Amino acid sequence: MIQSKFGKVAALTLTAGLMSGFVSAPVHAASKTIIVWADETRGPHLQQVIAAKGDWVPGYTIKIVPFSSFAALDTAFGNATALTGPDIVVGANDWVPTGAKEGKLAPVTLSSSVRAQFTANNFFDLSYKGVLYGVPLDVNNVAMIYNSKLTSKPGTFAQMVNFYLANKTADKLTAGLCVAGGGMSWGAESVLSALGGAPYIMSASGAVDPSSDPLPAATVAANVSKYLLAKNGKSNGFFPATDTGCKTAFLAGTVPYAIIGNWEWQDYANAGFDMNLMPVPGILHGQNGAAFASVSGALLTVYAAAHGVDQGAKSLLNNFFGSAAGAVAYQNVELRPPANKKAQKDASVTAAQKGFGKAGAVAGVPQIGAILNGAPGGKAFWDLLPAFWTDVLVNGKSPLTSAQAMDTFFKANVAAGIPQL
Amino acid sequence: MEKFFNRKVTVTLKYIVVAFTSALLLMLIMSSFAKREYAISGFLTIGLIAIAVTYLTNYSIPMKFFLPGMFFLFAFVVGPILYTVAMSTFHYETGNYISKPDAISRILATGVRPDPNQTTFDIIIGEDSSKNLEILASDPTNKVYFLSTASTKTDLDPATVAVDGNGDATIAPGFHALTPDQQTALDQQIATTRFVYSSAFFITIEGSNVASLKSQTLKYNSSNDTFVNVQTGAVYKDNGVGNYANLTNKTDFLQPGWRAPIWFSNYAKLFTDPQIRKPLIQVFIWTMVFATLTVLTQFALGLLVAMIMNRKLFGRRIYRSIFILPYAMPSIMSILIWGGMFDTEFGAINHLFGSHVPWFQNAFYARAAVIIVNLWLGFPYFYLITSGALQAIPAELSEAAAIDGASNRQIFRKITLPLLLQVVSPLLVASFAFNFNNFNIIYLLTGGGPTNTLGGAVAGSTDILISYTYKIAFGAGTQNLGLASAISVVIFFIIASISLYGIRRSRVLDSFK
Repeated sequence: MIQSKFGKVAALTLTAGLMSGFVSAPVHAASKTIIVWADETRGPHLQQVIAAKGDWVPGYTIKIVPFSSFAALDTAFGNATALTGPDIVVGANDWVPTGAKEGKLAPVTLSSSVRAQFTANNFFDLSYKGVLYGVPLDVNNVAMIYNSKLTSKPGTFAQMVNFYLANKTADKLTAGLCVAGGGMSWGAESVLSALGGAPYIMSASGAVDPSSDPLPAATVAANVSKYLLAKNGKSNGFFPATDTGCKTAFLAGTVPYAIIGNWEWQDYANAGFDMNLMPVPGILHGQNGAAFASVSGALLTVYAAAHGVDQGAKSLLNNFFGSAAGAVAYQNVELRPPANKKAQKDASVTAAQKGFGKAGAVAGVPQIGAILNGAPGGKAFWDLLPAFWTDVLVNGKSPLTSAQAMDTFFKANVAAGIPQL
Repeated sequence: MEKFFNRKVTVTLKYIVVAFTSALLLMLIMSSFAKREYAISGFLTIGLIAIAVTYLTNYSIPMKFFLPGMFFLFAFVVGPILYTVAMSTFHYETGNYISKPDAISRILATGVRPDPNQTTFDIIIGEDSSKNLEILASDPTNKVYFLSTASTKTDLDPATVAVDGNGDATIAPGFHALTPDQQTALDQQIATTRFVYSSAFFITIEGSNVASLKSQTLKYNSSNDTFVNVQTGAVYKDNGVGNYANLTNKTDFLQPGWRAPIWFSNYAKLFTDPQIRKPLIQVFIWTMVFATLTVLTQFALGLLVAMIMNRKLFGRRIYRSIFILPYAMPSIMSILIWGGMFDTEFGAINHLFGSHVPWFQNAFYARAAVIIVNLWLGFPYFYLITSGALQAIPAELSEAAAIDGASNRQIFRKITLPLLLQVVSPLLVASFAFNFNNFNIIYLLTGGGPTNTLGGAVAGSTDILISYTYKIAFGAGTQNLGLASAISVVIFFIIASISLYGIRRSRVLDSFK
């Protein structure tokens, strides 16, 4: 009886097991497929481009796997293993130090013709300890947009503040300048820069200058007091310490100036705004607040070798991601400024893409993760700057004391980060 | 109907269910084995055997009922606890995730540098006459052409090669180009071959038509388990905690490292490292305050509402439904809505009161906001519980006390509350344990903040132990999973102790003896 029970169940088990085995066979085993992971906007757009022309690497199939959000992609890549991970991941430049440290990213050497299509800063963004890990894809930056129905193009920071203070009641303004894209650290970096501070100083040669004080506390504190605080030491309302509600307020016409990200300019265009893009003006005429102009990269992973498609993945980086033809095809649907120099000049690239590109070219600084992510036991720039705005604009703390404290952390981050470049 | 469910049908159905469950397990066993997850594979195999023995024999009838529950208990409770305990004894953080052999191969891969000029060649991948992998390399600018295999390099006379419009060689004597499909089939071999160039440099392929010049800067010596930087002469040795460290400069180490056992170091850090100990104490105190205040306020409001609703009241059913609404709504949605309402600049609360309270920027207000929102979310639970318990208290007791001259307050303090506490004590303990680990409310409402970042604070003012642990494990640039596991184990013991104490005090288990 038992024997017959086992016999029947074993036969069923084996049949079902084999069927499920076939269904769940890994994709790499079936064909030479290059797996590319990307976020919720880049992923579907890359799918669209690859569907239109799939022979970028003859002999290989290219499969784009989109994720529901950038955070979901980040988490998935964090959990990736040799059997589950992608061959190429389209990610942020500050993933490079972590990915390299974790042994998830593989070094890349590009052909001289591909290298010529990018700036040294682009490669700087995607390198760790002098080793390049990917191909620059699109430029990530913010620019300031002004509402021409309310105001005209400002020449200095003071002009913006004066306009706000003079018109806030009449125009029912909820703020003067706010951050709609990029958050209170990445997006608001240009405001800090306009007021005289920075997380690090770049020398004329394009390297980080370890000897310069990134945040002259007295200057920054004086500018913060003059432009962002009222006489009673509290915020004058011009620059809120939060980015919540900024986009809605700008679109509603209650904020004249907003810092917006280049990934969402269409929302503003669709709402009828002209693309009046510019860097945040500085204290003096002709000066600008510098904003991060980092690149996202198509990063090669070590899993490509484990999957037996290393050569194919490298070809995809050179032939598609690194080429002007690939960049134009992709950016025509993704609508971000392309990192590829030849693609930037292509006629099909929109005025808004070029506007962000121009703002980045005028006042862009490389985003150096090794410094910005903070020294061991220290603080990351991403936490420090929002804390600075909160302390000064909300909690009424002394701008000088807060600036000095932030400067100490910035200096420590520069000292710890430079050896990793 | 009865005929349909006769023994034959039910036995056949049982076989089918057992077979498909076994098939599913078999698939998972194969999949986990292929992914080298041997512990999972082993556990599933035991499960498969247990299913076969339990359901295909009459070895143990009770086991037929217990087995599914026990299987899931081990898979989702005991297993993760054991894994967390194990991980707490490892150096397991950003840069130390992989195994030592993997780390060695990654160091060797990144220990290769392009030549200073970053020289690249246009290439065609092919084979020589002996079917060895060979590249036909071109430097059209300098009109240099050569063939290279893993063991030989042959310079070519430009006159003997055919070139295309870019000046790249396309045909050379004895060279046979591979088709794209042939290259695809040989991908792994092509990617790992080092083609000869000179004594100092070799060539690696960087795509189907590009190759670059490289040199090995880090060399591994397996006999003494050291790396040597051939450019600087620096020697890197296993430092015992998961990295190859420079013998003359311990802070200079190669990356990536590996997951190395460090036994109780993570636990020791909790008490000896001031950077960890100080915020941990602050977070622990707030966690206790948060959990206690939450339970007390939720219980008090729930009881108050229950007592009001226990009286005859016009529209009582409608009120009851309204009071249960916060409990019926998904808490994630409620928390996010409250988060928007508390926003300083654009939130409804400040707008309503005409105030400008920095709810999430100031530690006091942020803590108050957390308690208020948690009160909103949790009081309907206690309202429901205490409503039931109040109705279970015999009315004769209150009536007798009233006849004896006791005031309403006295009746509540001396009769109702003690009787009520007897019933709800285990629930209060459970609620305390739940709120001790109430990650959602903190993460979604304040993110643990505000944090006195400029003052050097690591933990936020509203961080509780579990959200602080999450930050250590996943939140920052450097993720320390080993340390986070150690804190999780400590939390486990705290919760277990408090729960055990509460349960013993309430004697709730006495009835099971």
